[in-house]
Amino acid sequence: MMTLLVNAGGLVLMAAIIWWFWLSSPAAGTTDNDHTDHH
Amino acid sequence: MTQTVKLRPALTISGATCQGCAKKIRNALQPLVGDTEQVAINLETQIVALPEGTDLDEAARLITDSGYPARRLSPTSDPVATPAPAPDAGANEQTTEAAPEQNRANAGSEAQIHLAVSGATCASCVSTIEKALMSVSGVTSAHMNLADNTASAGGDADPDALVKAVESAGYGARVIEDQDEADDRRQQEDRQQYRTLLIKMGISLGLGVALMVWGMGFGSMMVTADNQLTWINLGVLTLGVMIATGGHFFVGAWKAFRHHNANMDTLIALGTGTAWLYSMVVASMPDALPEMARHVYFEASAMIIGLINLGQALELRAKGKTSEAVRRLLDLRAKTARVIRDGEEQDVPVEDVRKGDHIRVRPGEKLPVDGVITEGHTRVDESMLTGEPMPVSKGEGDEVSAGTLNTQGAIIYEATRVGSDTALAQIIRLVKKAQGSKPAIGRLADTISSVFVPSVMLIAVAAALVWYNAGPEPAVVHMMVAATTVLIIACPCALGLATPMSVMVGVGKAAEYGALIRQGDALQTAGKVDLVILDKTGTITEGHPAVTRVHASEGDEQHLLALAAGLEQHSEHPLAEAILRKAEQAGVTPANVTAFEALNGKGVRGDFDGQPLRLGNRRWLEEEGLSVDNATDAEQTITTEAGTPLFLALGDHVLGVIGVADAIKADSRAAIQRLHDAGIRVMMVTGDVDATAKAIAARAGIDDYRAGVLPEDKADVVSAMRGKGYTVAMVGDGINDAPALAAADVGFAIGTGTDVAIESAAITLMRGSLHGVPDAIEISRATVRNIHQNLFGAFIYNSLGIPVAAGLLYPVWGILMSPILAGAAMSLSSVTVVTNANRLRLFRTSHKPSDQPQREQS
Repeated sequence: MMTLLVNAGGLVLMAAIIWWFWLSSPAAGTTDNDHTDHH
Repeated sequence: MTQTVKLRPALTISGATCQGCAKKIRNALQPLVGDTEQVAINLETQIVALPEGTDLDEAARLITDSGYPARRLSPTSDPVATPAPAPDAGANEQTTEAAPEQNRANAGSEAQIHLAVSGATCASCVSTIEKALMSVSGVTSAHMNLADNTASAGGDADPDALVKAVESAGYGARVIEDQDEADDRRQQEDRQQYRTLLIKMGISLGLGVALMVWGMGFGSMMVTADNQLTWINLGVLTLGVMIATGGHFFVGAWKAFRHHNANMDTLIALGTGTAWLYSMVVASMPDALPEMARHVYFEASAMIIGLINLGQALELRAKGKTSEAVRRLLDLRAKTARVIRDGEEQDVPVEDVRKGDHIRVRPGEKLPVDGVITEGHTRVDESMLTGEPMPVSKGEGDEVSAGTLNTQGAIIYEATRVGSDTALAQIIRLVKKAQGSKPAIGRLADTISSVFVPSVMLIAVAAALVWYNAGPEPAVVHMMVAATTVLIIACPCALGLATPMSVMVGVGKAAEYGALIRQGDALQTAGKVDLVILDKTGTITEGHPAVTRVHASEGDEQHLLALAAGLEQHSEHPLAEAILRKAEQAGVTPANVTAFEALNGKGVRGDFDGQPLRLGNRRWLEEEGLSVDNATDAEQTITTEAGTPLFLALGDHVLGVIGVADAIKADSRAAIQRLHDAGIRVMMVTGDVDATAKAIAARAGIDDYRAGVLPEDKADVVSAMRGKGYTVAMVGDGINDAPALAAADVGFAIGTGTDVAIESAAITLMRGSLHGVPDAIEISRATVRNIHQNLFGAFIYNSLGIPVAAGLLYPVWGILMSPILAGAAMSLSSVTVVTNANRLRLFRTSHKPSDQPQREQS
């Protein structure tokens, strides 16, 4: 059970890294900030 | 004559880095403006100036289509609103030249905003900051220089928005308004930061070493029921030390993470954080883990942060040394000037000197501003600016430059350029700008490193899973150690420093030798040059021709000289000066010639006694239907002596021929030999006839020549040679060389050259000597070699370090790297890169010691 959890957690972590740094829009955070800066 | 056209800054562009880009943009605009000479492109500010009335939307579209995103400047850049509108000057060249100057004046407020950035440590930071700047509305180009921690943004963005964008990306930023003040402030901050880093290092290493000594010598790092509380307390203490001495890593990592970025901070924060968290779980709940896995790694977290702080402190110190070239130039500036106002002499700060002030300079004093001598005679040591070791004799009417040294007599001179307009200030600006630019090879490193950190994170997780599933017991410990070590060892700081550090040292070194490099790209290209094309007059030769022979076929020589001088007194060509000087020496009064006209590349014509009078080359006179056969023998004598024959014809009769020769510079042959030694082919282009060109080429040791080339065709010769596969450097000095300089892979404008030539060249040689060309090429080659070594080192380090850290050697030799060792290796890699770049400072060119600039011997 523990092994399954650790492996599943690792794979989810890898998927999250790929999604966060490559697939999701990198501009999203910046744009929010810039907009607040301007107004 | 070209018509006068008033230009105004109209479009802002991005991505144009060299004269090749400028040429592409001009060609793209040709259908719209017709004459491409009416387009002024300032690569420094990335602004295009166009004739008034041009359809700017269409121009922007054409430039964008050619590969350089362009858009209209905001209405504030209208010349009416700017303080220095383009002067409605005479010749087209002058007006075109005025535009870039004007743009430069605007650059600080509008076209280019410079920021001082803090907290950037690696290649990923560079791309993060550049991305953050580009995301601000109005920014067309962004550039971050890790070597001096400055960023610049092109366009007309709000400076505050830029600062906020950089800050929200996880770094500190402030706008640089006064470059000098910013430099002083940065130096102060660097010193302060150096001390802070050392203190932080002391604290974190102190704790780490103490824990390690305890674990290895006196106690154990294993958690037992007896020491559990002690370890929990030590864990809390470690956390406090981590926050106090490495808090900036965690803050930086979090800010980068929020922006979907990962950088060096991310790796350090994850690595040390993982080690601490695991240790804390062990200390709090030892029973939840197998007995063998109850080992704490608090010492690793503290020591890694300590070692990285030490690495950054050493790096900071070495970085300071690389900008020595600029600091030496800055030190050349005099602090005060002895100004004569209302007949009274007074010492005033150099900032208060006004244009037109008369300044007295005594022997041994530095000249405070640029000007023209009005009284006195002296010898001025200009070696600090030009690299020329011998002091130059200066008298009334001669120009003098700020920063040079008056070695002999007392002089009074009138200030013509003050403050940031002096030649010295411009040189400092140029060197700083070039030091911050990035050659193509550096951009490749940036691209790689921006995907590098997330990839390392994936490798760390994958390695952890492999250890958990396939590793020996205690698997959970091995899993944690492997992941932490991979994260720590992989920091790409060495990669980020590799290129900018070498460029900074290389550009500074070139400046020491009197070669001003405009762009980092020029460094890279100059190193690859395999064909150097030299203009003849003023480049190989002195540029001060003298009459060697006067041969009259009809009439006497005095009459011939009087007619020639009559024509040439209207001209400003160097050949004209030679003829007028000869006439003066011979006591001949110039004849009264009217309707003077100069024909580029052919000769001059006018009217004398109602008849056409012509003085020029054989080809032109033959085209005009005249026979020059009666002067052929004299022509041959002149050409074999490396002189230029000028035929004089009155009406339909050729009266004779005048030979004018230009002495080859004393060191041209030696400089050309150095180019040969470097495996470079040397070619000469000249408008001279074949025999003259051949004689000069033979004397100067030149491999090949193109004779009879009209000034406007020089660029075609350059293009043709490039077409044959050569990487071509063009060396020239005159206005007519500008297109050829721009057409070459690298253009060298030689010292005494005109502003137009300097504007078109990638490298400016402040000395008149050709030795500057091999010097610059040798320095470029050394710099590129240094960059390659650095990049190779950084890549090899990572490609070997990561697999070892992941535990690849474990199955074979049972070796699993410790996270502490990884931290030390990571710091060592950046220190190695910085040290290797500093090694360039010791580089000497193959110039003979006797020819070396004085300071090079010291």
